[in-house]
Amino acid sequence: MDPIREFELVMSRRELFGRTAMGVGSAALHTLLRSSGLAAAFAASSAFGALQKPQIHMGKPRPGLPNMPSFAPKAKRVIMLFMNGGPSQMDLFDYKPKMEEQFDKDLPDSIRNGQRITTMTSGQARFPVAPSKFKFKKHENNEDGAYFSEILPHMATIAKEICIIKSMWTEAINHDPAVTYIQTGSQLPGRPSFGSWVSYGLGSMNEDLPTYVVLHSKVGNGKADQALFSRLWGTGFLPSDHQGVSLRSSGDPVLYLNDPHGVDRNTRRGMLDDVSKLNHLQLDQFGDPEIAARISQYEMAYRMQASVPELMDLKQEPEEVFELYGSDSKIPGTYAANCLLARRLAQRGVRFIQIFHRGWDQHGNLAVDLPSQTKDVDQATAALIKDLKRLGMLDDTLVVWGGEFGRTVYCQGPLSRDNYGRDHHPRCFTRWMAGGGVKPGISYGHTDDYCYNIVDKDGNVINPSVDEFTPGAVHIHDMNATMMHLMGIDHTKLTYRYQGRDFRLTDVHGHVVKDLLA
Amino acid sequence: MIQIRTNLLFVSALTCLGVGLATGSVQSKKKHVASVKVVDYNRDIRPILSEHCYKCHGPDGKEVKGDLRLSDAKDATRERRGYFAIKPGSSSKSMLAQRVAVGNTNDPMPPTDSGMPPLSAEQVATLKLWIDQGARYDKHWAFVAPVMPTIPTVTAKALIRNPIDNFIVEKLTKKGLKQEPEADNATLLRRASLTLTGLLPTQGESAMLAMDKKPGAYERAVDRLLASERYGENQARFWLDAVRYGDTHGLHLDNERAIYPYRDWVVRAMNQDLPFDKFTQWQLAGDLLPNPTLDMKVATGYVRMNPTSSEGGAIEEEFLVRNTFDRVDTTSTVFLGMSVGCAKCHDHKFDPISTKNYYEMFAYFNSTKDSPLDGNALYAEPTMLAPTPEEEKGLSENKTLMTKLESQVNLSEAEGWLTASRPAKLKVADWEVAGPFVHKNNDEAFTTDETPTTWKPIKIEVGKVASFIKKDNASGYVRTSIESDTDTPLTLRLNSDDGIKVWVNGKLVHSNNIARGVSEAGDVVKISLKKGPNPIIIKIVNGGGEDGLIFNYGSDKDARIDNAINKKDPVLTKKTFLNDGPDSATSKDYRAVSAKTAKIEAAIPRTLVAEELPMARQAYILRRGEYNLRADKVSRGIPAAFGELPAGAPANRLGLAQWLTDKKNPLTNRVFVNRIWQQHFGTGIVKTAEDFGNQGDWPSHPELLDYLAVKFAKDGYSIKKLHKLILTSATFRQQSVVSKQKEAVDPENRLCSRGPRFRLDAEILRDQVLQVSGLLISREGGHGFKPYQPAGLWEEVAFQGSTTATYMQDKTADIYRRTLYLFWKRTSPHPMMLSFDAPSREACVVRRARTNTPLQALITMNEPAFMESARVFGERLVKSKSSAHDRIKLAFNIALNRDPSKLEQSILQSAAQRYEARYKQSPKDAEELAMVGLAAKAKDLPNDQVATWTMIANTIFNLDEFLTQH
Repeated sequence: MDPIREFELVMSRRELFGRTAMGVGSAALHTLLRSSGLAAAFAASSAFGALQKPQIHMGKPRPGLPNMPSFAPKAKRVIMLFMNGGPSQMDLFDYKPKMEEQFDKDLPDSIRNGQRITTMTSGQARFPVAPSKFKFKKHENNEDGAYFSEILPHMATIAKEICIIKSMWTEAINHDPAVTYIQTGSQLPGRPSFGSWVSYGLGSMNEDLPTYVVLHSKVGNGKADQALFSRLWGTGFLPSDHQGVSLRSSGDPVLYLNDPHGVDRNTRRGMLDDVSKLNHLQLDQFGDPEIAARISQYEMAYRMQASVPELMDLKQEPEEVFELYGSDSKIPGTYAANCLLARRLAQRGVRFIQIFHRGWDQHGNLAVDLPSQTKDVDQATAALIKDLKRLGMLDDTLVVWGGEFGRTVYCQGPLSRDNYGRDHHPRCFTRWMAGGGVKPGISYGHTDDYCYNIVDKDGNVINPSVDEFTPGAVHIHDMNATMMHLMGIDHTKLTYRYQGRDFRLTDVHGHVVKDLLA
Repeated sequence: MIQIRTNLLFVSALTCLGVGLATGSVQSKKKHVASVKVVDYNRDIRPILSEHCYKCHGPDGKEVKGDLRLSDAKDATRERRGYFAIKPGSSSKSMLAQRVAVGNTNDPMPPTDSGMPPLSAEQVATLKLWIDQGARYDKHWAFVAPVMPTIPTVTAKALIRNPIDNFIVEKLTKKGLKQEPEADNATLLRRASLTLTGLLPTQGESAMLAMDKKPGAYERAVDRLLASERYGENQARFWLDAVRYGDTHGLHLDNERAIYPYRDWVVRAMNQDLPFDKFTQWQLAGDLLPNPTLDMKVATGYVRMNPTSSEGGAIEEEFLVRNTFDRVDTTSTVFLGMSVGCAKCHDHKFDPISTKNYYEMFAYFNSTKDSPLDGNALYAEPTMLAPTPEEEKGLSENKTLMTKLESQVNLSEAEGWLTASRPAKLKVADWEVAGPFVHKNNDEAFTTDETPTTWKPIKIEVGKVASFIKKDNASGYVRTSIESDTDTPLTLRLNSDDGIKVWVNGKLVHSNNIARGVSEAGDVVKISLKKGPNPIIIKIVNGGGEDGLIFNYGSDKDARIDNAINKKDPVLTKKTFLNDGPDSATSKDYRAVSAKTAKIEAAIPRTLVAEELPMARQAYILRRGEYNLRADKVSRGIPAAFGELPAGAPANRLGLAQWLTDKKNPLTNRVFVNRIWQQHFGTGIVKTAEDFGNQGDWPSHPELLDYLAVKFAKDGYSIKKLHKLILTSATFRQQSVVSKQKEAVDPENRLCSRGPRFRLDAEILRDQVLQVSGLLISREGGHGFKPYQPAGLWEEVAFQGSTTATYMQDKTADIYRRTLYLFWKRTSPHPMMLSFDAPSREACVVRRARTNTPLQALITMNEPAFMESARVFGERLVKSKSSAHDRIKLAFNIALNRDPSKLEQSILQSAAQRYEARYKQSPKDAEELAMVGLAAKAKDLPNDQVATWTMIANTIFNLDEFLTQH
């Protein structure tokens, strides 16, 4: 049967029954009327360069919830750069020159104030201060400048684009709960991840690619020691079609995307046509609109088989792009290659892109291992911002960089001027945001000289509470609420009823930090 | 999101009260008011108040505003300085009606800035009517124990096979709908087989049903399915979702944990139809039952199933609290069909559960012996050996056999042998030590033998590590004397870190310059002892780091003989004689059986179990649910709103279990029968199977739910009887065709206006392709298997030191086992499971979503097990039949349980011709396709034939009909 005729049949079927089956199906059916699977596949496989934005094939959107977005979004999409393990804020962004003279002196009780610490260091006889061994330099931004560590030379060049938040805080003190918390709003497993909430609320901007894509990065020094969990991009109690889909650098880029050896595109097309014909017979006999939805899902799968390889094919990029992102960007699976892929995904209408980079848990040997981590991410991160900007996409793309908590000023294990380790520290840490309606080139929030407590601009300690927003302190719920706000979502309105309760990403907390908005 | 819950039941005066409606879109929003309408508090009013008012005027004591609780009849209707919030009988004198009225601008409710949605005109009208009718409050329906309802009389022309049909048809008639006719037997068999056993009917079963021409043939087929071992395997998976069964700890390192005997017990319990009350009690409190059996203890794995962690730096008390939260939340969802979790921070907003209630439940679960941090251990204690019934049977048979063989031994002969074989009496004197002697390097330390003059006492126990050098590149000496009552050979077994030399009676008898750890394999040194004292000197050399010596002597055999002589027990004497005595036919048999026993014992798995601490831990109300913010002390108890503990129930998990299974408990039976209904029809009578509370969906057939719940208890909690009742109803047997009218009136089939129709679960999809191809093997129980899985999925997320950091696919036929036995890594479950809506098993799930996505299509098209099954099925078709027509017919019969239509035949025949032409032309492609998977390729089949029929099989495996329960 002629494919177009088939889709007309599907369409008339849909009208006959007057309702859509599952959400995905309806939008797909809608678009199928206009573009056959074959036509879409051909469109997707046509060659085009990276900078020629208009030619990139973006399918028709799948709508989200009727009340979403709640208001006009600033950011159409998010790229979240997740540094798993807890990057050391005072060796990267939060410059603490006064610590130099505190070397090997005990952290004053007045600073620690009886706060709990992990059992990895709670048994230590002393809490000696370990000043950062790295040199810091001030770089011009849109305020009075921002300090960057010498191991972030490239990020320093985007100082005017990023909004550095030094007063992030969380309650969680161990990796698993902390990373689960920041990704799902709860320290215990079982809740939907940020990206799946966005997929559920806002729907998709294309029909050939997933709404939420996850990219895992190889770690340069091989020390990817802290774990990740599929729940971090899972859907919890939301339907599983909102889960993050991993794009993989080896094997099938999307699981099971490639047909087996011996089955070429034509063979698959023929098989799908047969399946479609036989399914239509069932549809005629049983009238279940779910059958129509399934037919369209198979067509979408077929289109993905063409659109994903095209997406992954970095050979289309000009040499200057690889130079921008650094030589690693030619090696599939590196953080740099993933940043470039993230940009290509953003161009193709993927709404939520998350890159994971592991190995930021420097309990010891920080002097060697932290520079190795920044070497992996520094240039490509800066390149992503610059690339988005020159493509005119930074304005409506929200980029976020950071981990699940910070690290302690006091040393874990042996301390010398040249090397030291740091334990987990949830009471203050640094993340940054850029683009998508964020105020560029500013710093927000302060920490005390020991980088231990959040303080106000006069240096008075803020003891923030998750229940109410204290200006100057940004709880992870506050950041998530702010990110949602930029995407046009009122974080208190994007809810899902489960077990009699309307759940949301920010639990019963979270405040939009207005000072961060452009 | 605002759910529309304003459906009023507009009824004629004759209709009995309390028969609910399907929710939502079925009803047109504007309906003309009938002459009589009776407002039901539970169905019509409570959802409005709960949705719009309870947040500030509900059960949560701390949040109450304006001192008004609309959830409390007394409080809502009392006089307030001349005013009434609710004045029963008079909506015009009720402030509530005025404040919520549409268009009211005078301090409207809910307040405009509250974020709560305003009431619709229809809702306001309903409220007013309710007040005018007397504002009668009723307890939430699900909190009142069910009673056997009157079975409705059906006047319409309909097929009634059992009371289920009365309830269903009554409602259908009211909606102007008719039952669908019954499906044919082949369809029914497929439907029943999939829902009961999770597999397609075998051809034998299909033939048996076709030949059974007597009335009740279908019923007999259902009985056979219920009796099948495959039944328990399919039923278990629903339970394993609910209890979040996994083979790993679930957090952080996510190491493997040993608990699969629990999974296998669930399968057995289902197959044996263990009554649900016992099934419940064993899991919650098997350890607390009098003289618990092995199964009762294994069942307590339920209590241990929560994800655990041992993350570096984790604080024990914090995780004790988290683990306990998880147990309470899961138990409440599984048995009570509602989450009490909200109450851990504040009184429940919608349901009558206070924070105190929550922590009283918490107190049941915070005092088990297991450490709050699991140590990342496979055997996180307490654990126990859990032999399978087969293993137990094997052990017991062997024991009988051995007893019989022992009885054949002549005691005096055995005693004589024992006396003659008596080993020398040895006495090891106290040890002394000299050294350390430090050298330039290890070799110098080894070759240079000192002559120590200063010896100090040291305690060296047989079989235990002694460390006495503590220096690098150094040697140390220990000496003793072994006194023997006769000349005798003796074996010394010596582990050393590192090198070792041994002198006996002044002579060097052993020398080994080696670098090793003390736990590595040591040296066996055979020496000769003279009667009297025999001085022994042992020199150990330490190259660096730890040093150590483990001293052992004598053979196991000697030890056994010695033991038997000392014990003077005739049975032991005979055993020893058979084990270690002279060869005879009897002793050979005996040793063979004994070896078998040892082999069985070595294979017996361990499993995590729950045990109670001798002294319960004190429980406290924890402010905001924070482990370190303790408020008042609490003791164990259940929420008063759900009734009270049965008389004599102990104040522990057993008491809790007795309450859950008490006939006065309003929830447990309803919740469970609802899930069984959901399994068979795709949606429960209460759609929100996880929430029977105030916010949950109103049941589509409340009285049917009560009928099933009461009947279930009456039938002795037999789950199999419950299945049979449902499966033999006319309701279940309807055809699943979706007519235009029903699509409009009953889009979700909540009214059961047709037979069930929904996409099959992940496990069934995988199992049925294996079954159809013939690859499926039926090995029951045991360690989880690891099937095909794309490379790198575990590696890219796992903690590097985790025992599940690397995925090692099984290379045996184990990969063709049923999906139930899949090794379940909770932080990275098999991708096919996640794509087809299986939960990760990190948290309790009693209702799976059912999505329809392109990723699913990619799996059924390309996943290796699906592709391999298609290839093997293709081979089967080629081998069995010679014409395309017959092959297609066979394929349809095996996979779809029916003959193909002419049109279907022609579509697939022309497809086969197309593939044949293609694969004849490309022998390389044909060969590659014919090689898919590990299963051996059928000999002598041409590749192009196999490739062609692989594609036909692949086509059939992707048909909606194949993927769907219908």
